Amino acid sequence: MLLSVLIFSPLLFALIVALLPEEKWVRPVSLVLSLLHFAMSGLLFYRFNPASPNLQLVEKVPWVPTFGINYFVGIDGISFWLVILSAFLTPLVVLGSWTAIEKRVRAFHICLFLLLTSMIGTFLALDAILFYVFFEASLIPMYLMVGIWGGARRLYATMKFFIYTMAGSLFMLVAIIALIFMTQEQFGVMSASILDFYNLEIPFVAGEFLNTQTLLFFAFALAFAIKVPMFPVHTWLPDAHVEAPTPGSVLLAAVMLKMGTYGFMRFVLPIFPEASEYFAWLFMLLGVVGIVYGALVAMVQPDIKKLVAYSSVSHMGYVMLGLFALNLYGTTGGLYQMLNHGISTGALFLLVGMIYERTHTRVIADYGGLAKAAPIYTIAFLIVTFSSIAVPLTNGFVGEFLILLGTFEANRWFAGVAVLGVILGAVYMLWAVKRIFFGPRGKALGHYEEESLDINAREIAVLVPLIVLIFWMGVFPSDFLNWSKASLEHFVANRTHYELKLEE
Amino acid sequence: MEVQFGLIDFLLVSPAVALFLFSCIPLLIKVLRGNVEANPFATMLWGYVGLIAAAGLTVATMGSESTAFAGALVFDGVSGFVSLVLLFVAAVAITFARDSQSTNDKQFTENMFLMLNSVIGMLAMAWANDLIMVFVGLELFSLCLYMLIALSLEERASKEAAFKYFILGSFASALMLYGISFIYGTVGSTYLPDMIQATPNLLATNRLFLFGFVLLLVGICFKVAIFPFHAWAPDVYQGSPTPLTSFMATGVKAVSLAFFLRLVASQAFTVERFWPFVDVLQWLAVFTILVGNVGAFRQKSLKRMMAYSSIAHSGYVLIGLIAAGIGGASNLGASGVMFYIFSYSVMTIGAFGVLSLLETRADSDLTVEDLRGLGRDKPWLALAMTVLLLSLTGIPPTLGFWGKFFIFSAAVKQGLLWLAVWGVVGSIISVYYYLRPVVAMYMEEPTVGRYSFELRPLSYFAVVLLAMLTLAFGFASEPAYRMVLAAVVKIF
Repeated sequence: MLLSVLIFSPLLFALIVALLPEEKWVRPVSLVLSLLHFAMSGLLFYRFNPASPNLQLVEKVPWVPTFGINYFVGIDGISFWLVILSAFLTPLVVLGSWTAIEKRVRAFHICLFLLLTSMIGTFLALDAILFYVFFEASLIPMYLMVGIWGGARRLYATMKFFIYTMAGSLFMLVAIIALIFMTQEQFGVMSASILDFYNLEIPFVAGEFLNTQTLLFFAFALAFAIKVPMFPVHTWLPDAHVEAPTPGSVLLAAVMLKMGTYGFMRFVLPIFPEASEYFAWLFMLLGVVGIVYGALVAMVQPDIKKLVAYSSVSHMGYVMLGLFALNLYGTTGGLYQMLNHGISTGALFLLVGMIYERTHTRVIADYGGLAKAAPIYTIAFLIVTFSSIAVPLTNGFVGEFLILLGTFEANRWFAGVAVLGVILGAVYMLWAVKRIFFGPRGKALGHYEEESLDINAREIAVLVPLIVLIFWMGVFPSDFLNWSKASLEHFVANRTHYELKLEE
Repeated sequence: MEVQFGLIDFLLVSPAVALFLFSCIPLLIKVLRGNVEANPFATMLWGYVGLIAAAGLTVATMGSESTAFAGALVFDGVSGFVSLVLLFVAAVAITFARDSQSTNDKQFTENMFLMLNSVIGMLAMAWANDLIMVFVGLELFSLCLYMLIALSLEERASKEAAFKYFILGSFASALMLYGISFIYGTVGSTYLPDMIQATPNLLATNRLFLFGFVLLLVGICFKVAIFPFHAWAPDVYQGSPTPLTSFMATGVKAVSLAFFLRLVASQAFTVERFWPFVDVLQWLAVFTILVGNVGAFRQKSLKRMMAYSSIAHSGYVLIGLIAAGIGGASNLGASGVMFYIFSYSVMTIGAFGVLSLLETRADSDLTVEDLRGLGRDKPWLALAMTVLLLSLTGIPPTLGFWGKFFIFSAAVKQGLLWLAVWGVVGSIISVYYYLRPVVAMYMEEPTVGRYSFELRPLSYFAVVLLAMLTLAFGFASEPAYRMVLAAVVKIF
């Protein structure tokens, strides 16, 4: 029951928000409801058994029995933190957008709750079609969010975002259908359950493109690679991020990109083990290219938000690199980096949004000397920057270190180039920090008095949980990784014949 | 040959009889009152009564699996299902017609008479078990539609549309009749089961039969606007009064596709001699999808855009038909086609209904820009339109997603992966033009003042109901799918 409640309660919340008599109540009520949802997700800590790699809290109800499609949800160590992350960020986003969203506040919060339903549903679905439904459904609220509350070029950005993601996932739909029929051939009954997909024998011929496993592998990989986004299909991301309103950017970066990497972990690697291994070099290569390319492009961006967007491309390159290292370090690091990226990039977008609300410019050249005008803001920004460039004692370090360790084990050349990305990351972030916060007063803060630009109590309340997590995850990573350890070890150890059991 | 008709025959066709009787009532009233137009609301109510009576009688005789009039009409699951879909869209369409400026005038009674009689023609085609009956039904509804289009108050486009439709439609009918004559000449009967039984054999051995069969297919392809017989559709759909367009785009397609399915059930596609034609049909499906979607991409007028989108949807259904033809007894294709007929009808008539509601003059031709600001002024209508458009795109959880899912499943199952891939490519193109109105409604600033006029309540209700159906069946598609699955097994 708990998982269904987590998935569908936001729908109810959306309805409540829609029926509120006065618009001024929308924000407080949404905040309370999203906190309630986060509290409910906290129940997972009591109900989830981290020692077991099995799927837990499973619910299975027939949906379209003719095709073996079920409403089938469950949680394991891989999805555990992603669910918590989604639930954790939503109240922060509500609080963070308190003043950023000025028009159609009610509609915005309805979108937010619909998005929450589809995000949680995506991470919990164990039926491929159910997964697809949530995966696609998540596009609609985000599409509206960017399109209605976005910046000047929002229409272009939102259309591009929708078409790119839809293009990838429709091919995945065909691949899912093909897998469903394969279960019928091999097990006699049609099933869309991912667990049955794991047991399929999918013929694979190395070195030949037109064979079943390779084609299906690429159909899935394309859908998820666009979502991640991997170089060279990342081009929708900078547009969407720059045009999205702050809360949209946060959820897009922090959670929706993880749908892609999560898809790789849940579908691509275990269902197509031979093809994944055979083409691992390609994805590691693209990951490395993404790391370096993202960093280099971020370096020359005049717009802070675009800089953060390209840094996302770079960071997600690390995650892909870790996942396709196909060993325990890499996979663990990949999963950890997903959470880190969610927190640090989410925080960065929030920070950029906060200053934008005051100065109405995101052009780096307009800033300078902000450290004096906004000291608390500066401290917060620096901490998040350190997390983003993986300074030890912050969460980013743990993730990147594990990934590089795993990559080194798998292929030292890729690891060598990826390390370069760490340096480049420091370069673009610290350079931007220098130009924004230090040096002569920029024209963006022209008429502001000393310290009057600083963030207020509400904004500090948004940032504190994130900063606490940055250090907590950086100093005590095992507090977090222990919840996923059993699943990850099972995942890596049984990679070629992966299967998941249901917890009794 | 001596043919005897019993009471049961008349009971089975009672839906058509009821429709005809009720279609005459408003006309009679008008005549008796000295040619004074009655209250259109009353006229519409008579239409409802007729349609509901017909639906009730259809439900009552459903599942009887019997034939009437010496086998000329068949009442099986397929005809029952299509009849119900048809009666439903007709009821919705007359609601739109009453509320539209282009049809609700001093000739509304005649409009209603013709609409109900075109439904009779469609019912006849849905029931038809004999090629002559098919032709009679087809001509009956086509003639009614030609007149209905021409009756529109709008002066130029509708007359052109009526004429175009009449000429091209007659041409297609002639081709079809020509084909039927060849089939009759080779099979010795126009009785559909006879023909279906003879098809595998004759198709392989008799060139004249092949000729007739292909012409028959061409005639149907024209009616459902398959490339390259699609060119009439955009002009006719645009020129017709919108309520009528909504009805044509759904009703005509539903019954024509159902008949197409019966032809496909003849195992023709498994005959080796026919394979080149199956290949051609596959290419036609691909081209139809591409032409429809690319065409819609470039349209300014929303009606024209929807016309092209309806061509594209015919292409998706053709994929299902081909899969059904090749798959034979495994009925994923056939049931996919039937389900698609249903899902397509619901969402298409809904989308046309929204356009019809927003038209303020008989000659309005809405463009995307005209929808600007609708999300703010008429939020529920905009929401309904959004749901319908997302469903047409095939985004879950909506009815349209399941329609595409079942069709693509059938294609993959029959090894027609490449058709499924082209279907996917088409769907990706369609994202752009289906979402353009959504963009306009919610994200662009209005250029023309506010939508201050009152929405006609009944049409408004109908549109919202259709959007809700789209969502409801999106969450629970299984019952409807079960129903069609059970229905199509019988005809194969």
